[in-house]
Amino acid sequence: MADETQTMPETVTSAKKKKPVGFYIAGSWIVLILLAAVFGWALPAPQWDQSFYDSLGVSPFHHSHILGTTLDGYDMFAGLVNGARLSVFVSLSAVVVGGAIGSVIGISSAYFRGRIDILVTMAFNVMLSIPNLVLSLSLISVLAFSDENHPATTARRVGVLILSLTIVIIPILGRISRGATLQWSSREFVLASKSMGTSNFVIIRKHIIPNVAPAILAIGFLAIGSVIIVEGSLAVLGIGIPGGASWGSMLANGRGNIAYSPWEVYLPAGCIALTVISCNWFGDYVRTTLDKRESKI
Amino acid sequence: MRLIFKRFVAMCTVVIIATFLLSLLMRLLPGDPAAVLVPNAPDQVRDVIRQETGLSKGIFGYYWQWLSGMLTGDFGKYYLNGGYRTVASVLQRCLPPSLYLIMYSQIVALVIAIPLGLTSAYKEGSRFDRITSSVLFTTVSVPAFALGLILSLIFAVQLGWVDPIGYESPFGHPWQHFKLMILPVISLSVGLTSSYTRLLRTDVIATLKEDYVTMAASKGISNRRVLWKHVFRPSSTTLLTSAALNMGGLIGGTIIVETIFVIPGIGYEIAYSIGARQIIAMQTLIALVSFAYVFFNTAVDLLTNLTDPRTRERRG
Repeated sequence: MADETQTMPETVTSAKKKKPVGFYIAGSWIVLILLAAVFGWALPAPQWDQSFYDSLGVSPFHHSHILGTTLDGYDMFAGLVNGARLSVFVSLSAVVVGGAIGSVIGISSAYFRGRIDILVTMAFNVMLSIPNLVLSLSLISVLAFSDENHPATTARRVGVLILSLTIVIIPILGRISRGATLQWSSREFVLASKSMGTSNFVIIRKHIIPNVAPAILAIGFLAIGSVIIVEGSLAVLGIGIPGGASWGSMLANGRGNIAYSPWEVYLPAGCIALTVISCNWFGDYVRTTLDKRESKI
Repeated sequence: MRLIFKRFVAMCTVVIIATFLLSLLMRLLPGDPAAVLVPNAPDQVRDVIRQETGLSKGIFGYYWQWLSGMLTGDFGKYYLNGGYRTVASVLQRCLPPSLYLIMYSQIVALVIAIPLGLTSAYKEGSRFDRITSSVLFTTVSVPAFALGLILSLIFAVQLGWVDPIGYESPFGHPWQHFKLMILPVISLSVGLTSSYTRLLRTDVIATLKEDYVTMAASKGISNRRVLWKHVFRPSSTTLLTSAALNMGGLIGGTIIVETIFVIPGIGYEIAYSIGARQIIAMQTLIALVSFAYVFFNTAVDLLTNLTDPRTRERRG
């Protein structure tokens, strides 16, 4: 999954000869994060979930803790590398699954039109009528319901987080793919192959999907950015993933110590911001390369 | 007129379906909803609450009771230990801070974005344009919570220029009100400013290529006048549409910013009611937010339809 998202922009952008500097900066940051997420366990770093009681709250560039430790003695570098794994996993799976479901619904409803299309548009409108954060907030609070007697496990919280983010993504990408399909399905070559008796499935696979995919991809990158932001926001609100296992969670834990060890906030916030910027940059690059005004969120 | 009616019906349908799903979601909570609302209360109290909220009536009955309550101004209650507080009274208190926050953010964003967007579009490709574009591209992606936390660390905790948390009414303590609002408004409006400027820039660049702009310029009308009268006016529609569409996102953003800066607004109340499992209050507040969102979208859609003849032709 990781490789796929990493190489896809290459195929889209390879047509252009000269790539801007930002392409390499954003690209290398994304590659770095993906590498950290996949191979982070092999790095010679301390345990992320182990407290070093001899070095509480040391500042960055310390000889044994390269990015410092939190006030509770957790190594920041190890935490960030470990956080990359969960943040990447959560955002990628939400966007890939949600994007796939949304695109299938969007493309087929726009292609076949009729009553289903009206229903689907209505459903998307309903889902989009609740702001992203509010929607995922209420979904999580209901699905990961816990009290003193039945605390929700971390695995369940992660699952619910991914599920609710997926639900948030479906209408966003669904609407984009619907719009793009509407545009392409009335083009001459589609009508021509329809009149030649090609089956609908083949037309969608051969003519619609290749043309719609770039727009979906561009918005998909933007969606990864916004999913990472929502994950962080939920953590700040105290209902994300607990225990500093993701960037947002580290940030939320570090909030209380902001006056004593500000790097606890700076570092995860910086990681989140850089990743979001890189994803947005890629999405924007794909979009401007295609020069389609319809494909904006 | 027919269009207004059609849009109104569509809006109501969306709101009704959304709120129905919302109450369905509340009923999906594991366990007895009355027990969730008041975990430590005796059975008699729970019975009273079940009657009062319609929780005893099944999903449609409950929804109907909630909806008719909303339409007649009964917004439900927060059930506290041994008492209650009406959501309406909470709304009265928490609506103004949020409205101020959203209003200030929109104003600040527009005031900065309009001249910036116009200038960088007019000087497309210049050094000014390239620098603003790349700076804005970076700032549009910075999440509001990261910005809010870092701003409050630098300006409130370390420099001590403003108080890190709190809220004051603008009528009682106007100076304190503005001082407390500065950081939240900055954290919300930075992202907005960037997206508005980029939008306006793209739009203005497209408009500048229109024949009538060349015509106006060749008639000897001053550049400034051409820019404001002939270019900005048609481009402002897109900007206003996006400003209205952003209301929903802003309400989401206020949840975070209000939590970080402890402003007792509607976002803070939503977060609180979710944390305290006040499902009735939560349902009402979220429903109001999504109603406001849909209402803004519809209103803007209608307004652009009425004022901008270009969008009218496309229908049919």
